[in-house]
Amino acid sequence: MEDRFNFAPCGFLTLSEEGTILSANQTLLQLLGYELEQLMGENVNIILTVPARVFYQFYFVPIIKTGKPVEEMYFSLKSLDGVEIPVLINAVLRKGTREIDCVLVPMHKRNEYENELLIARKKAESALLEKRKANEKLEIALKELETKQAELMNLNEENQTFKTETKKELHLAKIIQEASLTSPIKNDFIQIESYYEASSDLSGDMFGVYQINPHQYGIIILDVMGHGISSSLITMSLQSVFQRLISKGVSPDFLMKELDNHLHGLFQNNEETWHYCTVIYLLINTFNQTVHYLNAGHPPALWQHNTYEQYELSSTCPPIGTFSNMNFDYETFNYEKGDRLLLYTDGVIDPYDSHYLSALLKRYPTVPLPVLKEKLLQLVEEQATYHQEDDKCFILIDLKDGVDVLNKGM
Amino acid sequence: MNESILSRNNVNIYGQGEIPMLFAPGFGCDQNVWRLVAESFEKDYKVILFDYVGSGNSDIGAYDETRYSNLEGYAEDVLDVCAALDIRDAIFVGHSVGGTIGMLASLKRPEYFSDLIMLGPSPCYLNDPPHYHGGFEREELLGLLELMEKNYIGWANAFSVSAMSNIDRPELARDLESRFCSTDPIIALQFAQATFFTDNRKDLPNVRISTLILQCSEDIIAPVNVGEYLHEQLPTSTYKLMEATGHCPHMSYPEETSHFIREYLMDKSENVSELKRIGDLP
Repeated sequence: MEDRFNFAPCGFLTLSEEGTILSANQTLLQLLGYELEQLMGENVNIILTVPARVFYQFYFVPIIKTGKPVEEMYFSLKSLDGVEIPVLINAVLRKGTREIDCVLVPMHKRNEYENELLIARKKAESALLEKRKANEKLEIALKELETKQAELMNLNEENQTFKTETKKELHLAKIIQEASLTSPIKNDFIQIESYYEASSDLSGDMFGVYQINPHQYGIIILDVMGHGISSSLITMSLQSVFQRLISKGVSPDFLMKELDNHLHGLFQNNEETWHYCTVIYLLINTFNQTVHYLNAGHPPALWQHNTYEQYELSSTCPPIGTFSNMNFDYETFNYEKGDRLLLYTDGVIDPYDSHYLSALLKRYPTVPLPVLKEKLLQLVEEQATYHQEDDKCFILIDLKDGVDVLNKGM
Repeated sequence: MNESILSRNNVNIYGQGEIPMLFAPGFGCDQNVWRLVAESFEKDYKVILFDYVGSGNSDIGAYDETRYSNLEGYAEDVLDVCAALDIRDAIFVGHSVGGTIGMLASLKRPEYFSDLIMLGPSPCYLNDPPHYHGGFEREELLGLLELMEKNYIGWANAFSVSAMSNIDRPELARDLESRFCSTDPIIALQFAQATFFTDNRKDLPNVRISTLILQCSEDIIAPVNVGEYLHEQLPTSTYKLMEATGHCPHMSYPEETSHFIREYLMDKSENVSELKRIGDLP
C-alpha cells in the first residue's frame, strides 16, 4: 500500500494550513526532481512558479479557508531545474485535521490543447475588438457624414434661395438691358434690322440705331470684352454715353474719343477691373448717301454694293479703353440704292469663318431684310459650336434711294 | 438611503455599534472573506460589508468596462456606498488592493473616513529598480493573468457544482449562495489588470487620515519591504508586522488580525482622550 501511494499515477502532496509541505509521494518528487528531505518543512512556494504563488494566495487559500474543495485548479509547478510543469490540482482540507491533501496530475498534452484554445480565443477576441472599433469608427464617420450632409442641405437651401433671388434679379436686369435697346427703323430711305442675344442673362454686347434728323442715322455696335454681369455693367455705362452723344449728332471721331475717355475714366484707379471694348460707329447721311465710319478693333463690317461687290469696313484703330490719348479718324464712302451693310459682334461667328457671312449676303442679295435675318440666324446656329457661350449681336442695313430720288418722284 | 446602490454593491450591515466599519475585499473575492474578522467587531461597531460591482453578489449588469478599467472605478464604488449610507468618519478596513482602493476613496472624500486599515497592502506590485522593489517583474504578472485564463476554462460552473460538498458545514451556507471569488472570467481578468499594473506610490504622501498597516510575514504578494515603504511614505501611519504568513491573514489568522485592528483602535481612542485632557489644562 505504501508503494501504491508512493508510485500512484498522480502526484500527492500534503500541506499545512500555512502552506508548509508535510509530505509528497515519489511520483511528485520525480516529477519535480527533488528529494523528499529537500521539500519537507519548506513552503509550497518552493515548487511553484511566481505567478502560481500569487494565484495560490488569491484562489487556493481562500477556497480552502472557506471549507470548499479545490477542484481542477490549473497550476504551474517549478522543478528543481527550473522547468515549468503544468498540473491540475484537486485539494481538500482533510476532515478533523488542519492538513490539506492535494492530488496533482501533470497535463502537458492537455495544456498544449488549452494553449491553442486560448490563442484561438484571443484571436477571436481581438478580431471582435477590431470589428467593434471599426464599427465605432464607422458610426462616428456616419454621424459626421450626416452632420455634413445636413449642413450641405442647409447650404444648398440657402444657395437655392440665393439662386432664385439672383435669377429674379438677373431677369429683371435683362429686361432693363433689353428695354434700352433701340427699335428697328424702316422708311423709304433706310431699313435697319437687329438681333441681340445674351449668352447669360446679361450681355456685354450693345447696339443702337438712332435717327438723328430726317437725313442722318447713327448706328453703333460694341462688344465689351468678356460677358455676364461685369461686362454688361460697362456696356450699360457706355450705352448711356453714346445714346446722349449720338442723338446730338456728334462726329464719329468725337463720339469715339468720348467713349474712350469714359472707359479710361472708369478704370483709372483700378487696374483689376480694366476692360477694353471694340466698337463700330456708322453715321449715315441719306441725303447725300454718304457713310462716315470708325472701327475701333471690331470685326470688320460688311458692305455689299448693289453690284454684289463686297467691301470690309476694317478696323481703323485699336479698341477703346486700351491706349490713352489715341487719335480717332473716321473714313467716308458713298453708297447707292440697294447697298447692304452687316455689322456683327464676334459672338455671332468666329472671325475666321466670316466668309460664311459674306457668302450668305452674296447668295441672297435681294431678299427682304427680315428674311435675310432669318437666313443669317440659321447660319449662326449651324456654326454655333464654338461661340455658343458668347453674346451675339448683329445689325442689317438696307440702303435705299437718297432724298433726291424722292424729290424726283414728287 | 439609495437602495439601488445598496443592492448593486450587495451591501450588508451587521452589528450593534454606532461607529461604521467598512470592510473592503481585495482582488478576486467577495465580502465573505471577512466573515471571521468582521464577526468579532459586530458587538461594538456597525459592520458594513459590500461587493465591488462584478464580484460576489453584486449586480453584474452594472459592470462598466471603462469605469472598472482602473482602481478609481472601484474607489467610486466605495464612495457610492458611503454616500448611500450617509457615512461619516468610517473605519475603512481593506485587504490587499482593497486598501489601495480605500486610500483612493479617502483622497477624494476624506470626510467619509476616520481611519484606513490596510491588510497586506501594496501601492505597486511591479519592481521599479533601483529604489523600489514591488516584488514582481512584468512577465511574472503577465504569467499570473495567463494562469487565471487557464483556470477560467470551465470555471464558470465549477463553483456552483462544488456547493454540495459542504453539507456537513452548515455555517458556510451563506457563502455557498454567493458566487465566491468572481466567476466572470472577463471581469476577474480586468480587475487583475487594474490591480497588478497599478502604481499609486505618488498618492501616498497625500493621504491625510491615520493609517494602520498590517504587514504579514512571508507574504510574497506584498512583501515586508513594501509594507515598510508604505509606512515611510504615508504621513500618519502605524506599522504592525504580523506573525501571520501568506497574503490572507484575515482568513488564515483572523484572531491576530482582529487583535491588531482592535489594539490600534483602542490606542487611538486613548490618545484622543489624552489629547483632550491636555487641552483642558489652563
